[in-house]
Amino acid sequence: MAGEISKVCVIGAGVMGSGIAAQVANAGIKVLLLDILPKDGNNRNAVAEGAVARALKTDPAPFMSAAAAKLIECGNIEDDLARVAECDWIVEVVLERLDVKQALYHRLEAVRRPGTAISSNTSTIPLKVLLEGMPESFAHDFMITHFFNPPRYMRLMELVTGPATDQALAARVAAFCDVKLGKSVVACHDSPGFIANRLGVFWMTGAVTETPEIGLTIEEADAIMGSPFGVPKTGVFGLSDLVGLDLMPHVNASMAGALPKHDEFHAINRDIPVVRKLLETGYTGRKGRGGFYRINKTGGKRVKETIDFATGEFRLELKPNLPELAAAGKDVRKLLEAPGRVGTYAWNVMGRTLAYAAKLVPEAADDITSIDEAMRLGYNWKWGPFELIDKVGVDWFVSRLRAENIAVAPILEAAAGRTFYRVEGGKRQYLGLDGAYHNLTRPDGVLLLEDLKLAAKPVLKNGSAAVWDIGDGVLCFEFTSKSNSLDDQILALLQKAIALVKEKHKALVIYNEGSNFSVGANVGLALFAANIAAWSQVEALIATGQEMMQKLKYAPFPVVAAPSGMALGGGCEFLLHSDAVQAHSETYAGLVECGIGLLPGWGGCKEMLGRWATDPSMPRGPMPAPTKVFEMISTAKVGRSAADARDMLILRSGDGVTMNRYRLLADAKAKALSLVEGYKPPEAREIVLPGPSGKVAMDQAVAGFARLGQATKHDIVVGGELATVLTGGGTDIIDTVKETKILELERESFLRLLKTSATLARIEHMLETGKPLRN
Amino acid sequence: MTNVVIAGYARSPFTLARKGALARVRPDDMAAEVVRGLIAQTGVKPEDIEDIIVGCAFPEGEQGMNVGRLIGLLADLPISVGGCTVNRFCGSSMQSVHIAAGQIQLGAGEVFIAAGVESMSRIPMGGYNPLFNPVLAKKSPGAYMGMGETAENVARRWQITRDAQEEFAVKSQKKAAAAQAAGKFVAEIIPIHAKAGVIDTDGCIRGETTKEALAGLKLAFDQEGTVTAGTSSPLTDGASAVLVCSEAYADKHGLKKLARIKSVGVAGVEPEIMGIGPVRSSKKALDRAGLKGSDMDVVELNEAFASQALASISEIGFREEATNIDGGAIAIGHPLGATGARIVGKAASLLAREGGRYAIATQCIGGGQGIATVLERI
Repeated sequence: MAGEISKVCVIGAGVMGSGIAAQVANAGIKVLLLDILPKDGNNRNAVAEGAVARALKTDPAPFMSAAAAKLIECGNIEDDLARVAECDWIVEVVLERLDVKQALYHRLEAVRRPGTAISSNTSTIPLKVLLEGMPESFAHDFMITHFFNPPRYMRLMELVTGPATDQALAARVAAFCDVKLGKSVVACHDSPGFIANRLGVFWMTGAVTETPEIGLTIEEADAIMGSPFGVPKTGVFGLSDLVGLDLMPHVNASMAGALPKHDEFHAINRDIPVVRKLLETGYTGRKGRGGFYRINKTGGKRVKETIDFATGEFRLELKPNLPELAAAGKDVRKLLEAPGRVGTYAWNVMGRTLAYAAKLVPEAADDITSIDEAMRLGYNWKWGPFELIDKVGVDWFVSRLRAENIAVAPILEAAAGRTFYRVEGGKRQYLGLDGAYHNLTRPDGVLLLEDLKLAAKPVLKNGSAAVWDIGDGVLCFEFTSKSNSLDDQILALLQKAIALVKEKHKALVIYNEGSNFSVGANVGLALFAANIAAWSQVEALIATGQEMMQKLKYAPFPVVAAPSGMALGGGCEFLLHSDAVQAHSETYAGLVECGIGLLPGWGGCKEMLGRWATDPSMPRGPMPAPTKVFEMISTAKVGRSAADARDMLILRSGDGVTMNRYRLLADAKAKALSLVEGYKPPEAREIVLPGPSGKVAMDQAVAGFARLGQATKHDIVVGGELATVLTGGGTDIIDTVKETKILELERESFLRLLKTSATLARIEHMLETGKPLRN
Repeated sequence: MTNVVIAGYARSPFTLARKGALARVRPDDMAAEVVRGLIAQTGVKPEDIEDIIVGCAFPEGEQGMNVGRLIGLLADLPISVGGCTVNRFCGSSMQSVHIAAGQIQLGAGEVFIAAGVESMSRIPMGGYNPLFNPVLAKKSPGAYMGMGETAENVARRWQITRDAQEEFAVKSQKKAAAAQAAGKFVAEIIPIHAKAGVIDTDGCIRGETTKEALAGLKLAFDQEGTVTAGTSSPLTDGASAVLVCSEAYADKHGLKKLARIKSVGVAGVEPEIMGIGPVRSSKKALDRAGLKGSDMDVVELNEAFASQALASISEIGFREEATNIDGGAIAIGHPLGATGARIVGKAASLLAREGGRYAIATQCIGGGQGIATVLERI
């Protein structure tokens, strides 16, 4: 297709450059990664190659697979710059210095193919400044694509175009970033800091400045500014440590330099002695010795400490005790109105940030949705600023601003007596500067249950799940339980859903919009049942789960699972029993039951065995498949991407990966519909398993790990039961084993394990602490 | 009785499994190139060869299908030359030598190639389908025991400290590195032509290692034990071959005789202390020759682990300065099936190089065995 981006050149292999290169490679697209020549040594590509090597070792991983890294070709700007002609998009991620960038642009202009998109990842230099003195042909193809760190995980990309930018070209780059790189592209005006950093820096600076003035501890400030406002619980000081304290003075200086004199930022941007002292003593944040928080390891123990604003010294971390905060609960307005230091801080920081956000329409963006999306995806806020104002009430908010003589932005005036968002005729609408409501439109290929729910009722529903009609004969099965944990209600509704699709629909998609697809079965229920020795109920739950999974697998219509985030244990077993998986690229799937002293009991062992036993890459004989599956399940291995899940055979060759979270449901629906014509359920597999001879080898391997201290006493028990299941119990290698036999072995071993006190201790510990017990 | 001589010795470079240069080379190709090299080096007439006997510890996958015959075909031996595969685990290719010698003395052929091969990169130790007999596993737990565990057992029973093992390992590395630097391996190494280029250098040797470095390594098999990766032989890829013929044949065709085979022995020991296998097997071979351990001027004792090597050396009474003169398996590597032919060939060529009258090659074998070959200067 003309204009398709099939190769990208990234110039600059720093953390951002190599991260962007990695994400392009994650999408399966070739990258030419260029940097300067090294100071010494014979390898002229050492800088770029070093960056890729570092990225392969970085955690969280910039690459989704080692194979992706092979799509990156490294070079240098002296020998290889002319090769940008091979590329359809050039991303400049070099030093934030105008002279350096422009010198590069002039060199690029001489060698690139006309019409090749060029973008800068600058976060501080305006587009019009970057283009000063550049030829018109360059301006025509130029734009700013501002990614957030780390580029694989942060979903926001701010796009800035200029008056001369070819809009069709910009749309192509935006579509590529959306579909291939999985980013939510927000159009910004060419104003300082664009949206997210403009507002985020204002908010963080205010939060840091106000803390000592109001006399709060850092822990108190983070407690107020964190979860109550839907902000990640790291709060502001935790976030500063994460981002790097050393960046703050630079970012603030560049923001102050770029903003007009009357901007409110200047009033809050001041030198903070404690921060200066931290930086002078090498406390740059988590990447260094620590920042506002540090882990003190002197004396052999790990002690969490916090800087005290009053003394400028570290002291033991103090748990905040703020009754006003507790009293406000989830009521954001009550928090802003709270008496004393809590309310003052909440208002001075967040109240002013929201007021500042309001004036960014139209300064930084055309509409409020861009600002909300930028803060949700760029700073991981649960609610954008305008959603927060809706929560506190526009009129209350405006009257408080007036009372404090704070300027009221036009968009706030326009909203008087109303809300910023509303639902009308089943559509979500937002308020424009023109005072009118406009439909919130989604790009083609985006389908969200969130939108659907505004206009429709579920076709089936109970306390833990719901079924939605997503059109064209496809139903969507949604988990709605806490953390999407799986229980008997989900199984009950699944049975109804299967019957309903059979009766009058074509296909079923299993999907939800939680942060995790499912973290597995509700083990609290299992623990409860075990504690009252209700073994028959537990057995029934296992048997019902197995039955439902088999029904799903052999249903006379296609079933497509569409996971995002974690798909663990039973959640993973849903994937394994679907005809196809359309996975979000950020899917973390695995059978983790052994971690809590159990084993996959809903057919997970059976499916993994079947997949590995029939995989053409495996050596012949009864042992290779069980060995491979044993390694994965006994270590509770979880894939760190959809690509990993493919390597684990949780995804199969026909399964798809969607990079953009928003596009997952539409892609899954399309996949389901593609399977409808001529659909035949799979045939039951029979496989050869090694029987007791194979179990001896597995037991011996576990014993070896135990001698090394890598397997615990109970790991030996759990490993033994897992080995029994995976080797087919008492089978002989001249026989084949049916699926039903493996399911029976799963049930028996599961129950035996649940009856051990060590397994119960593991479950209890996991429920209480969220961490595995190594007993 | 007919005298049997070693009339040539060659091997591939030994390189680390999975990480080394030979990881991507098929074992049959590797062995065939060594066989071809041995024939060229010795000048033996290929049509006189009765049989090629190849030792291999895990003869499956690329080293399965009676790889001995296949190596003969790959090496363009005349179609009339036989080929077989022998498995005595680590003792496999020493067994090849013994079979050849026995056949010669039986009058069943005059010239044999005794070879060995193991790609530990490409065929997993234990094979693809380890199916252990549950009854035996219960009755004799040592039968399937991992080698590291047996090394720990020997260290415990013979009270070989971690420090002593590390001292031994460092010495082995230094001796091997010195021999390598002096070019003493060049004559025995047949360069292997791989897709990625020519491989002609040993890859396992770490001459720079120190006792301090080894002391910092994690325990490899048992958190209450003493054995580390540094005091174990590495997983290795390699092939080796020796030319075994009657002395009369060698004389008639002007082949260079390295040493005469004086006696051999094989013996079983408790599986859980398999590392002590050299003691009983060496004693048998030495008794048959009417000799003692201290009579040996050259000793090639396979260093599967430092613990078992030290225990065996002291039990048999080998002289330290005669033992593993160019370093042992801890440094050079231990491609299971290829080791036996290497140490017999090495002992024979050291006897020729260093002087002295008697040499012995001996090694331990998984499952609880030892094997030994006594050589005499000609």
